[in-house]
Amino acid sequence: MPDRQGLHVRLRHAAPFALDLEFDAPAGTITALFGASGSGKTTVLRAVAGLHPTREALVTCSGRTWADTATGQWLAAHRRPVGFVFQDYALFPHLTVREQLALALGHRRPRERSSRVAELLAAARLEDLADRRPATLSGGQQQRVAIARALAREPALLLLDEPFAAVDWALRDALRRELVDLQRRLSLTVLLVTHDFEDVAKLASQLVVLERGSVATAGSVATITSRNAVPGLDRWREPAVALDATVIAQDTDRQLSLLAAGGMELEVPSVAAPVGGLVRIQLAAREVVLASARPEGLSLHNVLEARVAAVEPASHEALRLVHLDVASTRLLSLVTADAVRRLALAPGVPVLALVKAVAVEAFA
Amino acid sequence: MDWTALGLSLRLGAVTLLLLMPFAFVLARALAFGRWRGRGVVQALVALPLILPPTVLGYYLLVALGRASPLGALFESTFGRPLVFSFEALVIASLVVNLPFAVQPMQNALAAIPGNLRDAARCCGLSPAAAMRRVELPLALPGIGTAAVLTFAHTLGEFGVVLMVGGAIPGETRTVAIAIYDSVQSFDEPAAASMALALLVIAVLALLLTNALARRAWRRD
Amino acid sequence: MRAPVSRKLLAIALLGVPALAAAATPVKTGTAEASATALVAAASDLRFALDEVIAQFRRDTGATVQVTYGSSGNFARQIEQGAPFDLFLSADETYVEQLAQRGLTADRGAIYAIGHIVIYVPTGSPLTPDPQLHALAVRLAEGGLVRIAIANPAHAPYGRAAGQTLRNLGLWEAVQPRLVIGENVAQAAQFASSGNVDGAIIAHSLALAPALRERGSFALLPESLHEPLRQRMVLLSRASPAAVRLYGYLQSPSARAILARYGFTLPGN
Repeated sequence: MPDRQGLHVRLRHAAPFALDLEFDAPAGTITALFGASGSGKTTVLRAVAGLHPTREALVTCSGRTWADTATGQWLAAHRRPVGFVFQDYALFPHLTVREQLALALGHRRPRERSSRVAELLAAARLEDLADRRPATLSGGQQQRVAIARALAREPALLLLDEPFAAVDWALRDALRRELVDLQRRLSLTVLLVTHDFEDVAKLASQLVVLERGSVATAGSVATITSRNAVPGLDRWREPAVALDATVIAQDTDRQLSLLAAGGMELEVPSVAAPVGGLVRIQLAAREVVLASARPEGLSLHNVLEARVAAVEPASHEALRLVHLDVASTRLLSLVTADAVRRLALAPGVPVLALVKAVAVEAFA
Repeated sequence: MDWTALGLSLRLGAVTLLLLMPFAFVLARALAFGRWRGRGVVQALVALPLILPPTVLGYYLLVALGRASPLGALFESTFGRPLVFSFEALVIASLVVNLPFAVQPMQNALAAIPGNLRDAARCCGLSPAAAMRRVELPLALPGIGTAAVLTFAHTLGEFGVVLMVGGAIPGETRTVAIAIYDSVQSFDEPAAASMALALLVIAVLALLLTNALARRAWRRD
Repeated sequence: MRAPVSRKLLAIALLGVPALAAAATPVKTGTAEASATALVAAASDLRFALDEVIAQFRRDTGATVQVTYGSSGNFARQIEQGAPFDLFLSADETYVEQLAQRGLTADRGAIYAIGHIVIYVPTGSPLTPDPQLHALAVRLAEGGLVRIAIANPAHAPYGRAAGQTLRNLGLWEAVQPRLVIGENVAQAAQFASSGNVDGAIIAHSLALAPALRERGSFALLPESLHEPLRQRMVLLSRASPAAVRLYGYLQSPSARAILARYGFTLPGN
């Protein structure tokens, strides 16, 4: 059911990039546009922003039509309420941080602008850098300025093109957290282009996978990862399920947190989120052990009742990927074919899924 | 030192600047950013005055501005005097001859602006006109300055075309470059020397200025 | 911040200097002044002689005279194309007749002087000046390096006379590769006075000028060797009143005396 308040995109184009796709980005969520280089992701982003006219286009957002080639409607890029964070930030080299933000506030009256700029600087923690020019800022600082500038427009849609590609590894998670935080506080609709699945797993709730200009798969991140159905992904990623989890309880004595995800309850090493807070977890298939009987005397924290949904071949001949129905979600388990025979695993067979607390990667 | 001639040359330079720069900027912008048919042809035409001998330019300008031409006839019927051998003819000649000096530095400066900066300007809510004013112009300023300096300096030195199209009418078309030539012919070496020195100084200053502007462009990035 | 200040200075410099220059130069004269101005096109051989005449004319009448020197043929062409001259002093008659036939002149004009040509050699030249150009002939026969300047025969009457003289002396073929062509006779003279050529066939009036007299010597070439240089002047249509007065002045005794001093033969003498 297309979300009228969200983003709806339908594009068709021939040269120089072939495009034939249609997808939705629901309001108030982070939707990731994932694909290899050349799959057309940046072109789609630019088309949505109005920077790249296509032969056929239908773009609606928040109930307004931005482009419709069928009726000849076209809203120019500078009139669309979009915030765009470019891959290399595209900060204006001749303007200070303060001036960059002020430039994007054309839609406000002059009197309001300086106070708005001050608000943005404070919110993005850029006050100390306000009078510096982009050349004197670090990569991470530039990214914060780029995001602040995009948000200055109070956009209905935030577009991000590989926002962490130019940032140090060590800094990425910190910046990801900031982005998630921002998006939740402002209930932003975000379309994020990336070729790094970590971004998808840690940030996005919706996923659109592009392959050579067309949609290969689309849906929620949880569903797609649990089906292990991301085309092109299997080649270089270990099967893992990404889920949204809520913190139910914090046990400071035992230094553990209790998370609820997809109907399961998981004990994990304590996460830095308050009770009721949202956390993203990833469960790698190779970390899920299967048992036909409840084990004793193990260090294990999580024993989950599951039912085999499917057994599929895996990357290696001797391995199998077992799809499990657990509570209201799906998990994956990577085991040897030998194990499958020993435990007589087949669709419909009940089994226990054993998950180490340590194996649950939590992103708070 | 022929002050009238020098003043005439300076006035020609100033008028050329005022009339040529806006048009050249629009053309430079279209060449830098556009992808339109005929762009290559226009670019070649703009560069033509750089390689054509001044006498060729002078010849064609005479044909285009002479009394028998439509333009010349129109001017004469409007103002009661011929277009050739007038200051106005020099201005027209100067506009044509200086086209590459005005367009090319600005075109290069504009083309050097990273493409996504202009996109970013749009996504910041700036209309194309506002984007030009607040992003393109400031970033292209060193190139614009270079274009202005080169055009002005080149106008001062223009000889062949001016002589053919303007004659050497004192006070009207006898520029300082022609005055130098004339002084040599009349064995007035001191006058020739002082005027030549003046033009040399101006040329050196112009080059120093363009260098300084080019360095500014580098420092920006 | 340093950048904005120097940027402003740059802007001021770029716009201010030309603007000041434009404002400072005198604007075109209005019609009231135009009547007291004469714009004269004069053949290059008149350069020094006419300057003296005009200086005297200015003292006597207070009128302003602007003279442009060049080759007669060039001026004829420019006048045909509408050059705004009031008075044309050609170095021969044909160019004046050409203009009169096209109706560009007030009348058929008047002869104001008869010109003569000389062989002029700068000091230090291997040539010596003589009326039959013997030194030149010898040098050419020896195959020695020698360069001779003349005005362009195509549009300068003095160049044409030089060419005729050389032909009549049988030297034209031999001297061809050694000729340096000046745009007008004054330029040919300048080539010689600077020592850049070994000799030049130029106007007598120029050879008598101090600048040349000090730097070399000359010999008159026989009039029989070339068509006479009957120099005719003419007022152009819509000539200014000042030009009309100058036209008359040039035929007065005081002007003729100056021209005679510069080696011109006066008509009627």
